Amino acid sequence: MYKFLAVCGFGVGSSLVLKMSIEKVAKEMGVECEVENTDLSSAKGLNADAIFTSQELGEELKTSTKSPVYPIKRYMDKEEVRNALGEFLS
Amino acid sequence: MLEKYLKENRIQHIHRVESWEEAIKLAASPLLEDGVISQGYIKAMLESVELNGPYIVLKESFALPHAKAGEYVNEVGLSLLVIDEPIDLKGNPVKVFLVLAAVDNSSHLEALSKISELLMNEEVYQKFLAGNLEEIKKILYKGAE
Repeated sequence: MYKFLAVCGFGVGSSLVLKMSIEKVAKEMGVECEVENTDLSSAKGLNADAIFTSQELGEELKTSTKSPVYPIKRYMDKEEVRNALGEFLS
Repeated sequence: MLEKYLKENRIQHIHRVESWEEAIKLAASPLLEDGVISQGYIKAMLESVELNGPYIVLKESFALPHAKAGEYVNEVGLSLLVIDEPIDLKGNPVKVFLVLAAVDNSSHLEALSKISELLMNEEVYQKFLAGNLEEIKKILYKGAE
């Protein structure tokens, strides 16, 4: 069971949609995971198997977390999320 | 349940706007009129795009402007604006703006999940892009089928 974080600036809107996309894709791929959505500053203190966030926020997170960070441009784009998840698994 | 948060007067359609800032202001104006948010929320949404980048563009042509939960927000609310001519939001052409006002981390979950499900369905999404408000309201209030 993996633990993933979906991160946006405030942790209430975009990150929730990203969480939905990750859960959908993970289900389709048969990947067991728990996804938590959160804001940028909270994410800095959390550990996860992978963190999914935007390009811009990812740059900021990379310096303050040991977890691998996967940038996603379009949080609702299942294809893009699928590629990122595939990259994490490989 | 969407009619509770995304009331009819909060759904707008316009031919064109001059800037993404104008689009967000216009999209949020019904929430301001209804007392759901105060002016500070609109400013916070605009600043967030400048500060955090355009990740609120969640898919081709669709953006979800929002800011911090509970700051300048009195209750959960959503508002929608469809524009005929795509407007540039930092390199992303956008036609559909859905403004989200949240009071905490959870009370808007059901509404946002529900509308996201609709927008993730390509066939339904095309109807949003087309901008026929009667059609959009039907989908929002009665479901996709």
